[in-house]
Amino acid sequence: MATNGIINIRNVSFYRGDRVIFENLNCAIAAGKITAIMGPSGTGKTTLLRLIGGQLQPHKGQVLLFDQDIARLNRKQLNHLRARMGVLFQSGALFTDLSVFENVAFPLREHMNLSADELYNRVLLKLEAVGLRGARDLMPSQLSGGMARRVALARAVAMEPEIILYDEPFAGQDPIAMAVLQRLIKGLNSQMQLTSVLVSHDIAEACAIADQVILLGEGRVLAQDSPAALQASADPAVKQFIHGEADGVIPFHFPALPLQEELRGQSK
Amino acid sequence: MINLIADLGAGLLTRLVQIGQALLMLLQAIFVQPKASSLPRLMQQLFVVGVQSLIIMLVSALFIGMVLGLQGYTLLSAYGSEQAVGQMVALTLVRELSPVVAALLFAGRAGSALTAEIGLMKATEQLASLEMFGIDPLHRIVAPRFWAGMISLPLLVAIFSLVGIYGGHLVAVDWLGVYSGSYWGNMQQAVDFNEDVLNGMIKALVFAFLISWIALYQGYSCVPTSQGISAATTRTVVYSSLAILGFDFILTALMFGGAV
Amino acid sequence: MNKRWLELSVGLMMVAGLAALVALALQVSGGNMSRNAEHYAISALFENAAGLGPKAKVTMAGVIVGEVVAVGIDPHTLMAEVHMKINSQVNYISIDSSASILTAGLLGEKYIGLTVGAEDDVLVAGDVIEDTQSALVLEELISQFLLNVGDNK
Repeated sequence: MATNGIINIRNVSFYRGDRVIFENLNCAIAAGKITAIMGPSGTGKTTLLRLIGGQLQPHKGQVLLFDQDIARLNRKQLNHLRARMGVLFQSGALFTDLSVFENVAFPLREHMNLSADELYNRVLLKLEAVGLRGARDLMPSQLSGGMARRVALARAVAMEPEIILYDEPFAGQDPIAMAVLQRLIKGLNSQMQLTSVLVSHDIAEACAIADQVILLGEGRVLAQDSPAALQASADPAVKQFIHGEADGVIPFHFPALPLQEELRGQSK
Repeated sequence: MINLIADLGAGLLTRLVQIGQALLMLLQAIFVQPKASSLPRLMQQLFVVGVQSLIIMLVSALFIGMVLGLQGYTLLSAYGSEQAVGQMVALTLVRELSPVVAALLFAGRAGSALTAEIGLMKATEQLASLEMFGIDPLHRIVAPRFWAGMISLPLLVAIFSLVGIYGGHLVAVDWLGVYSGSYWGNMQQAVDFNEDVLNGMIKALVFAFLISWIALYQGYSCVPTSQGISAATTRTVVYSSLAILGFDFILTALMFGGAV
Repeated sequence: MNKRWLELSVGLMMVAGLAALVALALQVSGGNMSRNAEHYAISALFENAAGLGPKAKVTMAGVIVGEVVAVGIDPHTLMAEVHMKINSQVNYISIDSSASILTAGLLGEKYIGLTVGAEDDVLVAGDVIEDTQSALVLEELISQFLLNVGDNK
């Protein structure tokens, strides 16, 4: 297993109460590629993103970002690292009290001392890249879901980060918006030499643009390979997820007593 | 039985943990170095928390003052001492009703809005997003709202008292014909600025602290779903109201009841 | 939201709040402040101090000059010992002054009235007023009255 990526997850264990989310998770994310993290709902895909972003701390193991263990960084160092990283949240997470322009300008105003003209030009260029230059004066509440996500994408890349994390970018989008987002993710990745990590359970969309897929299940990595290799995989768990079979290694039935014992009025 | 005790202990422990968390949140939020850029944010919150609560305060104060004037007049005129109505209206308002009623309205109007707003920010990942931009949401979101509450409520209480006293004047003097001079004169003789007005202001500050704290903590720690936010908003109003009334008794006992 | 309007309205609210506080100070409390002004303590022994309690007014010629601090029993004389504090400016109460417990109106609150004597020496902190007149107890008054009526027959 590769351990020399730009992001390395080493022996990470994470629990929520008594529930095991990850147990001894190992994976590496290669620089300059699009990596899709996939898996059934509830396997901790978003948790993994939060671990990478330093918003959650693993109970065991290390998360290495640019070869630095983020658990050991102080607040300032962590924020410095976060400036090299953009995140596109599932809901877009636009600041509802700021206009589209101000949302994109937000990280620039906070972290860079740009002149008013530089700032204006930079924001406009980023909005142009997502095709929403004309919407700069709208408020987030006036945007459709897909547009909000595109604005959030412009904001995420405003600081020209090296890594960008996408949390379920395709969830709840119509086919056109999905195609637009796919094109943007792919385009930004090649234009800006980004490392993209996207968490998704939309197999077709994610596989279409990913260079590498990490398949999570039962608290560990089930498979890590190119999309094509996974499509052809013979592993039953991989097959079940990739081809969307209702019953298989991951059972259709929630664990229960045998039906015969639970039905009432049935003598054994 | 043992189970019951264990449950009770566990429940108490959870509560204690929550209070600890809330205290930590507050300490982090309060001790913020003010920057030039934090003033506009404070302004914004003073508007939302203070100015937008003004109308409901004014209307309530006027009606409460009028009711006090009317009740006081009917009660006191039975003993032929309706001139004392000014004193009664003023003392009731300044010592008790203004701080308590204004705080209850504030909890319902501003406190619930704060909880809902912060809960929504949490649900839409705006707080997480701030964190990823390297900005502590406690400093950016919680601190200005806390200070806005601490500044607004005492001012609103002062306005409440004054408007209420004029409401009482309207009924007692202008409608029922108490002599204006005795309305004000009796009041001025009975009301002491330090003992009555300032103690009322101290109550307002304590209530502002409680409401802001409860509202912000409930919003910040709510379960980020629609049910979670609505439950947190309800909790804000319920807990704030209980805290206001409970602390009002304690403060009244300390301020006015310690004569013997 | 217009930024100027926002700032203006916040400013107006602040001014209104502070103005209300000033109005409460001047118009409502009439500038009354319980200044913790200088005062000195004296006491007086009464046969009966019924109805007198802490914070009761102490007056001289109808003007408030101090207040009662505490009421207790003097263990030697078994009389009611009333401790008072008198404003320091009022430093001309002669030592032969008398104190009486008066009632505001027929059923009103009890207060102490001081009547100044003729001596040149004045009361200072710790002094005791000996010449006192006790509280009127309505029941005693009534029984006395009834007794007198009986005698006159």
